Amino acid sequence: MIEVNNLSKTFKVYHHRKGFFGSFMNLFSRKHRLVQAVDSVSFSVARGEIIGYLGPNGAGKSTTIKMLTGILVPTSGSVTVNGYIPHRQRKENAKRIGVVFGQRSHLWFDLPVQESFELLQRIYRIPEAQYRHNVEVFDALLGLGDFFRTPVRQLSLGQRMRADIAAALLHNPDVLFLDEPTIGLDVVAKARIREFIQQINAERQVTVVLTTHDLDDVEKLCKRVILIDNARLCFDGELAALRRLLSTERILSVDYAETYSDISIPNAQVIYQEESRVQYRFSPEAISTADLIGAILQRFKIVDISVQEPDIEELIKTVYEDNLTLAQKLAEADVIDLTNRKRIS
Amino acid sequence: MRTLYLTFHVYLAFVTKSFQKRMQYRVANLAGLTTNFFFLLVHIFVYTAFYAARTGPLSLNLNEIITYFVLCQVFFMLMPFWGARSEVTSAIKDGSVALQLTKPVDFQAYWFSDECGRACYYLLMRGLPTFLISIIFFAVAIPTQPITVMAFAVSITLATFMSAAITITVFSFAFWTLDTTGFSGLSYSIITLFSGMLVPIALWPEWLAHIAAWLPFGGLIDIPFSIYLGKITGMDIWIAIGKQMIWVVFFLGLGRILLKRGFSRLVIQGG
Ligand SMILES: Nc1ncnc2c1ncn2[C@@H]1O[C@H](COP(=O)(O)OP(=O)(O)OP(=O)(O)O)[C@@H](O)[C@H]1O
Ligand SMILES: [Mg+2]
Repeated sequence: MIEVNNLSKTFKVYHHRKGFFGSFMNLFSRKHRLVQAVDSVSFSVARGEIIGYLGPNGAGKSTTIKMLTGILVPTSGSVTVNGYIPHRQRKENAKRIGVVFGQRSHLWFDLPVQESFELLQRIYRIPEAQYRHNVEVFDALLGLGDFFRTPVRQLSLGQRMRADIAAALLHNPDVLFLDEPTIGLDVVAKARIREFIQQINAERQVTVVLTTHDLDDVEKLCKRVILIDNARLCFDGELAALRRLLSTERILSVDYAETYSDISIPNAQVIYQEESRVQYRFSPEAISTADLIGAILQRFKIVDISVQEPDIEELIKTVYEDNLTLAQKLAEADVIDLTNRKRIS
Repeated sequence: MRTLYLTFHVYLAFVTKSFQKRMQYRVANLAGLTTNFFFLLVHIFVYTAFYAARTGPLSLNLNEIITYFVLCQVFFMLMPFWGARSEVTSAIKDGSVALQLTKPVDFQAYWFSDECGRACYYLLMRGLPTFLISIIFFAVAIPTQPITVMAFAVSITLATFMSAAITITVFSFAFWTLDTTGFSGLSYSIITLFSGMLVPIALWPEWLAHIAAWLPFGGLIDIPFSIYLGKITGMDIWIAIGKQMIWVVFFLGLGRILLKRGFSRLVIQGG
């Protein structure tokens, strides 16, 4: 569906002169410095996948999305989406994709949502039946009815985002690009949008490329994540693999039926204890979760037990903070058997 | 054929929406009427004084001059002058233009349609009231020949198209400069002067009028208004209209090249 090969983008940042004469001179000035926004990034996305495209501020996420949607011309490397080269075949590509930039609306600011939708119906030549059906479905899922006749400029952020996402899907695109679709939204609105994306992806096999700083989005939506930092790709694989890769340790919380005096278990370290409530830290390489639980059940009576996966927020922080650590972890990971790992570059 | 119709349908929708969105601000627009009349009165006073002092015959009589400046104010907002800041430029500046590019539309045609919608709006909400009020208070000449009226309608439409094409061309430089005020300011001074907006070209010294004739900008004001006043007649009408057509095509072509190059080096601000 999407093929990206050694994609790079370098921005020339021009020095802008101000004022009458200055702006005239800007036409001729060639003074600039270079900013490498995306550096030899390669990945591919299959139909129906939801990809979390993650990275810290300024990593190059939006720049990548802009190249995938044909807005920006790459400096080097190649991109194809649906078999089209987005910047060369912008219009053909545009017919098959939907794009939402959370930071700004792509609807007509002064027009009511409904009229924006009708305009889109004409632009994409959406058959009347399909248009009606989609509006109905999206209204049911996102509740557009309350503000369908309100001009976009009067919408709240959450309403606007819902309208934008629905608008991007009216023409049944194959790929949906979402650049921070939950930015600035409250918990309820976020949950609603996530559910919607999930449902659309499941029902229509829409491929989704999602950038976000909200790691809940990632947890709920993405099986696979791509991390970029400093313009470079630093991880591409399943979220679970990333988790396993970066955090070898897990936490087991147990509520015992009574307060035992000696609760130590081999290969697990007690990190917290309050009466009958105990937490162990353990490494799955030293003892498997099943064995650990088995060992506990053999000796004690329990009320409740749960294993805590490492928090993805923590994980990604580790990646962001120090690329070297990641490189080391990757090196280690080659020794450790990671059967579930898909791709790591 | 059907594709062509559907395409036209889309851009026609852009024209209507452009018109509609402006209708929401029609009350604010009324203030603009005052400005139109202010400038109209200034022109009329200056020329009345000028004509009173003048002894020799001029190529336009006072009545025609007044009509000329009434027309200037009626069509002022349709022309690529100071009032014609396009929101598309600010869209280029703040990067939201990018979002238009994610849609399967031709950007120049989209922008052109938007300008046409704008022109329709100002014709109806600004031009028409200005004209109606003016004919009550001033001796405005009204053409009697049907051919004149028809030729004028065609010519002013072409002038509007040319205006839109020029606006797109000038503002396309926003891709290079981001701040077009300096550049567009300079362009507009030239355009305003050579269109005949300030002083009708008929009153210019011959050598300067000659230069103006070779420039495209007379097509905005001088040609349509001269047709209206019956200064261009017969075969010359079609030559003048042909000239306008050539310049429309020229500016559309130039704008297209600039936009194409602009987009290929497009720097989208932020986000
Ligand atoms: N139009 C531009 N001109 C110059 N530099 C740019 C431009 N757009 C982006 N950059 C630079 O490219 C780098 C990547 O920017 P990009 O917007 O892709 O980051 P991002 O990953 O989307 O960040 P965020 O999470 O903050 O949205 C940044 O260093 C940014 O300053
Ligand atoms: Mg971004």
